Amino acid sequence: MAEIRGKFTFPGGTHPPENKHFSENRSIEPVSVPKQVAVLLSQHLGAVCVPTVAKKEAVLAGQMIGKSDAFVSAAIHSPVNGTVKDITLLPHPVIGRTMGIVIDVDAENNEIKQPVNGQFDKTFNPENYTVEQICRAVKEGGIVGMGGAGFPTRVKIEPNPAMPKEILLINACECEPFITCDYRVMLEWTWQFLAGVRLAARAAGCEKIRIGIEDNKPEAIEVLTNAVKELGGKEDIRVVPVKTKYPQGGERQLIQSVLGKTVPTGSIPPTIGVCVLNVGTCAAIAEAVATGNSLTHRVVTVAGCAIAKPGNYYVPIGMRVEDLIAYCGGLTETAAKVVMGGPMMGFAIADLSTPLTKTSGALTFLTKAAVTRAKHEKQQTPCIRCGRCLTVCPEHLNPTRIAHAVKYFRMDIAQDYYLSACIECGCCSYVCPANIEITGYIKTGKLLQARAKRRLG
Amino acid sequence: MVLASVMELVNNAWPAALLALGLGSLFALILLIASIKLRVVVDPKIDAVHKALPNIDCGACGFAGCASYAKAVVTNPELLGKCAPGGSDTSNAIAGILNLQMSGSGAPMRPVIHCRACEQDKTYFADYDGIIGCTSANAQPNVQACAFGCLGYGGCVRRCRFDALHIIDGLAVIDYEKCTGCGACARGCPRELIEMVPFTQDIMMTVACNSKEGGKNTRTFCKVGCIGCGLCSKQCDLFTTENNLARLDFARYEPSEAAQTAMDKCPTGNIVFRGKNAPAPREAGQKPAASAK
Repeated sequence: MAEIRGKFTFPGGTHPPENKHFSENRSIEPVSVPKQVAVLLSQHLGAVCVPTVAKKEAVLAGQMIGKSDAFVSAAIHSPVNGTVKDITLLPHPVIGRTMGIVIDVDAENNEIKQPVNGQFDKTFNPENYTVEQICRAVKEGGIVGMGGAGFPTRVKIEPNPAMPKEILLINACECEPFITCDYRVMLEWTWQFLAGVRLAARAAGCEKIRIGIEDNKPEAIEVLTNAVKELGGKEDIRVVPVKTKYPQGGERQLIQSVLGKTVPTGSIPPTIGVCVLNVGTCAAIAEAVATGNSLTHRVVTVAGCAIAKPGNYYVPIGMRVEDLIAYCGGLTETAAKVVMGGPMMGFAIADLSTPLTKTSGALTFLTKAAVTRAKHEKQQTPCIRCGRCLTVCPEHLNPTRIAHAVKYFRMDIAQDYYLSACIECGCCSYVCPANIEITGYIKTGKLLQARAKRRLG
Repeated sequence: MVLASVMELVNNAWPAALLALGLGSLFALILLIASIKLRVVVDPKIDAVHKALPNIDCGACGFAGCASYAKAVVTNPELLGKCAPGGSDTSNAIAGILNLQMSGSGAPMRPVIHCRACEQDKTYFADYDGIIGCTSANAQPNVQACAFGCLGYGGCVRRCRFDALHIIDGLAVIDYEKCTGCGACARGCPRELIEMVPFTQDIMMTVACNSKEGGKNTRTFCKVGCIGCGLCSKQCDLFTTENNLARLDFARYEPSEAAQTAMDKCPTGNIVFRGKNAPAPREAGQKPAASAK
């Protein structure tokens, strides 16, 4: 196989060690059903769901258990057959303690859910479904962006006359170290993934489809290029290899790389006619539209030195981290830190009873040695004005300036330097020779700003 | 010889001297006219009000400093009583200057912290080694089991300009002797634990917990948390229990036997006194005094 080199890229960014070897060659494996699941009511951006079931009520797998009438929101569904044990505060991986539904699993009446990729092949025709059908299936399936932010997909793909979309860009970069779930989906569920891509393009009214993949995944590029060829060129689908660089998978960066367009600061891709979707999301769209299944399971990468059996697992959403750890053979003795997501943008979890959500693509288990090598355990020293953070910032900000403004509560200065434009990729903290937690301060600044706004409004 | 040179100087320099004198007089005249024509009339009340204020520029009134508040309060008497550090004394003084009548209770506003859990009373799931500061620590979910209580990283301490707040054993403690009631600490707390309360008494009773968690979880997370049992609301109508949390109606509070009984009966010792020389709260885990009898 000829070496594939992506020439498209964006200014800035870094090259952290990829560490994909833990799980990239392990196929997707459905996990056994845990004894109890905890489905959080807030797994997406937008309004929090209201439970539609009561305590002690029996629920079926796929049944809607929470919904919201707000436009930007997504329904949630039970991944198992069982009874509602409690509706209570539960640990959330990102926002602390939020309401969730605890379901006791009916042990006798549950089968392990198998992936549905076998139902899709190259004969799949998206024109069998109307735009309304697709949008309704996506809405009722509770599908959200599975790359991390969790923006409700229905809002993205629904035709909007005010912002017509021309290009559907599939974000298949997976630039974050350790994570391989999208890679495995592309390799194993190729036809399901492509069916989802074509359905989304049909719903959004996009003529062109571009799939951006980093060139460190040559197999995925080959498989997808061949599959697109087999489709016979009815649609304008093109697989675009891009340079391996972090954060290539940020939607603004990918648009810059693949399409050469810049999304203006403070606005979103639809304003320039682009709709960006993640690989997992496309697979979920195909499943929801073709089989009517709602989003109750997802592929989660379990990686890192501190776990016995790393791999890619097909996990019910709502499974607790400790149950998944037990399934994967437990933690090794050297385990020191559990991160939901990858090491660059993920969230460290303190409470192992935290349930997985629709947006948790990976669990990274780091050893004490790996954590100590990381920056934040070392001594922070004053900023030496080297400007490395400015060179790597993919959003062309001045991170150190913002961080110092936040440190001294000068939110006016922080805002003058476009605090809110930060995508929190962590490149600045990664390269800082003075070990300053720049991204940490910027995140703090965003929280301070939100609090000030809440107090005024 | 000397005399001659002096005379020569005078003879040669007199035009210059005359010119200087003339110019001086001209400018003096311009300044005189300008000072009459361009005079800025300052309300003497502003100056008097400024003098009556504590002049610490704390910003609690919402203005940049005492001078701007003085200017604002003279033109808009509705702003009277905004000076928290000065309290009712200052407000009365300003009212006297402006010929106004003070209305309302005039009780000074002071902060109370709705948490009493010291380090040994709390449960932690993991070590936090990020940026030292409450807002940053609060952004890391579930490091401290209780999602509502004091984090003890001193966000309030850094904002206090009067050295009236200290972290003692992982809990923010207010020094009511030094506190001026400017409210900066309440704005600095990411968990909104600090409430500004009218201190109608020198020592106020308060429910020192903010946990809206169910009773069972609160018990697991904290030795001194409010479990929302509702015993206090049964004893005394000043207390209300909602969302697994008891609250006291501060505006109506007066020391009474019913309130004291409620405090003694609280199973977790969560109702405490706050204020200058307030008696120490019951120790964590100690049985209620009423049931011990």
